Amino acid sequence: MRRWLMVVLLLLCLSVAAAAQEAPKQGGTFRYGITVNPRGMFNPILYTEVYDGLVIDVVYDGLIYIDRNLQPQPRIAKSWEISEDGTEITFYLHEGIKFHDGVELTAKDVAFTYMTILHPEYTGVRYSNFNMLVGAKDYKEGKTDTVPGIEVIDDYTIKFKVEEPHAPLLVSFGYGILPAHLLEDIPVGELEQAPFNLNPIGSGPFKFVEFLTDQHVILEANEDYFLGRPNIDTLVYQKVAQDAIPIYLQQNRVDYVAISADQFAQVDAMEGIDTYVYEELSYNYICFNMRQERFADRAVRQAITYGFDRQTYVDIIREGFGIVANAPMPTASWAYTSEGIDTYDYNPERAAELLAEAGWQPGPDGVLEKDGMRLEFEFLVPEGSRQTEQMALLFQQNMEDLGIKVNLVFMEFSAAVDRVDAREFDTFTMGWSLGVDPDPYGIWHSTSLWNDPGFYNDESDRLLEAGRRETDPAKRKEIYGEWQRLINRELPTMFLSYGVTISAVNQRVKGIDTDPGPLGPLVGRELVRTIWLED
Amino acid sequence: MWRYILRRIFVQGIPVLLGFSFFLYLVVTLAPGSPVTHLRGVPNLDSAVIEQRKAQLGIDQPFLVQYLQWLGRIVRGDLGLSFDSARRPVADLIKERMPATITLSLASIILGWGIGIPVGILSARYQYSILDYLITFFAFVGISIPSFFFGLILLYVFALKLNVLPAGGFFLAGEVKTLAGYISYLCLPALTLGLGSIAGVARYMRASLLEVINQDYLRTARAKGLAERIVIYKHALRNALLPILTLLGFMIPSIFSGAVIVESIFAWPGLGSLAIQAVNERNYPVIMGINMMFAVLIFLGSIIADISYAFADPRIRYD
Repeated sequence: MRRWLMVVLLLLCLSVAAAAQEAPKQGGTFRYGITVNPRGMFNPILYTEVYDGLVIDVVYDGLIYIDRNLQPQPRIAKSWEISEDGTEITFYLHEGIKFHDGVELTAKDVAFTYMTILHPEYTGVRYSNFNMLVGAKDYKEGKTDTVPGIEVIDDYTIKFKVEEPHAPLLVSFGYGILPAHLLEDIPVGELEQAPFNLNPIGSGPFKFVEFLTDQHVILEANEDYFLGRPNIDTLVYQKVAQDAIPIYLQQNRVDYVAISADQFAQVDAMEGIDTYVYEELSYNYICFNMRQERFADRAVRQAITYGFDRQTYVDIIREGFGIVANAPMPTASWAYTSEGIDTYDYNPERAAELLAEAGWQPGPDGVLEKDGMRLEFEFLVPEGSRQTEQMALLFQQNMEDLGIKVNLVFMEFSAAVDRVDAREFDTFTMGWSLGVDPDPYGIWHSTSLWNDPGFYNDESDRLLEAGRRETDPAKRKEIYGEWQRLINRELPTMFLSYGVTISAVNQRVKGIDTDPGPLGPLVGRELVRTIWLED
Repeated sequence: MWRYILRRIFVQGIPVLLGFSFFLYLVVTLAPGSPVTHLRGVPNLDSAVIEQRKAQLGIDQPFLVQYLQWLGRIVRGDLGLSFDSARRPVADLIKERMPATITLSLASIILGWGIGIPVGILSARYQYSILDYLITFFAFVGISIPSFFFGLILLYVFALKLNVLPAGGFFLAGEVKTLAGYISYLCLPALTLGLGSIAGVARYMRASLLEVINQDYLRTARAKGLAERIVIYKHALRNALLPILTLLGFMIPSIFSGAVIVESIFAWPGLGSLAIQAVNERNYPVIMGINMMFAVLIFLGSIIADISYAFADPRIRYD
């Protein structure tokens, strides 16, 4: 009898749970914890900080949005067409989308947004994403008043044209669309000081309500959103102190927040809180200055990589929250490949062999020497991260075993960047956070500003240029595969690890992505619109 | 008295502030690192964009030009625009956060003096007793313990373990703002910031009172048969409090600078996080604005201490 009762009870519970899942509840306040204050630049074409982006993501909509697999999906544009030769993209807009002030969004607003980015007086940093549009350069230099590459066909159709196909362009159309009727009278050079930036009006699922410095940003559901009203009433970005995050979670003061690796065990054990670990689009590295003769020798770079126990770095210092990296393409990217990639597993014997073959012999003090060069160098380490500092110590120790002397120089971040920019370094460590498109051109091409190692390789440049031109994703992936194998062989920098993010989510939040991709359990901010809260 | 105050402000204050601002600007701009470092995070960037940004911020100019431009603005009451992406007026950034920092600092001063003085008196009255030794011991602990460590202990005990106080921050969005709520948020940061002053004031109070207690006029007072309570509180204490007043003037700077650290532990919405961020980013106008404001406050604090000294001690006259 009792057993039957249990079964009935269990079934009842299950059906209640199922019902709850079927019918999202409306209402409630969702609190998203942030550790850094937004600047108050809530303008999609001018902001540079992640935390301003959080607000922009929900206040504005772009022509497209990026899904969990990093693919572009229609948003303001209900569809798009790419011409046969790949030089024209035509977007067809939804009709009847309204800005939060009730004015309809049309192709004119889209054109205004992108024309502003190309304007000679534009103060932001997005120009280089669109400088390949036909006529963009002439317009930027003030030679013409029009951009033939941006053509408004009618109120709901807009066409963009490029000289030659540019694969990374499509995902760049995610920038929020600005309301032209509120901004077109402001000179572009003064746009960054417009009061609008602190009281943004977009067409997105949430309306901006209040920004209180170092406290919170409040947003409310847009009742008239063209895809339906969000389930939650209010979205709050709540400022929290990094060290106090576990307490905030325990006291139910935030529903969603990113936590650090050393908080994981404590938070994971909490009742009512789920944790999600996912791979992000980032990597860190140790960069060699290949302008120096000793580092121009590939054997030296490979030997150092063999000689550094990166697995221990990831397992012990990063407490397992990371993946050993061997090329600058994160596992989370669709362009990642492991095919033909050497993993350079920790092997000090192989390292010693490589160095001996290349003619490096121990000098009188045990440090390796060759033709008057010494394997003694400075290692520039930006301060502020315990993990980075411990990594530097492990590196120093591992290198000593090989007869390589590493002198650690700890430096404040901005000062370290000065040295790197002036090319006054032997080696340094930093990291890259990457965009949605895998294009590595901006960091690795020999003309790139950020080519810190001084890696000038014709084959690499050729592949990077081909990768940008190729619009077929399968072929593009092959090109980037070949490029990763080249970098993996040449090792202009030693890759350390791909990053992971840990999110903690209160179990009352329903409708999140429980098997998150690189954009996390809320797929960027995409799911904030559809999640709901259980009482 | 008024002549003294005016002289302090114009003959002493303004030249000192001018000199201070010059050296501060020099140090801040000489430091390695650049206000455009954050552009490093942007791939595909054109070097022209960096040069354009430097020109917009005015940091392509030589030091002296930059400084004079800044000075020219500040005498007109304009602190300039922040260097970060939002380019908001520095005055606005400071104004938004100032009330919180002032509240926290005042609360910790009240704690410091309100607790420190009675504790110091007890310690002196019962010199060399167990109570005195205990107070002395805890005073030294209080002076020595780093504020960030003490803050974390308080958070651990009162927020995590006992769960009676919030883990820093301020009112949640939508939370009703009551006085009790205000106090509960203020409690831990004010105690953390005030701990050093409590301990410091208690030690000074003890020393100062002991010095007075051995004076001849107190022996006279006792000899003529006054109750010990009156001897201590009416005759000794008044004189012993004088040096403590000067101490207030000296302690204000350390309380403000301490607030910067304590605020970042407790996510208190004051100037702390702005100051730290500005230094990390080489945000010259914000660094200058905050420091100049502190300099003015400290200067005013020292004037107030001097004046209150004159009020408290009839022997002191400023002419």
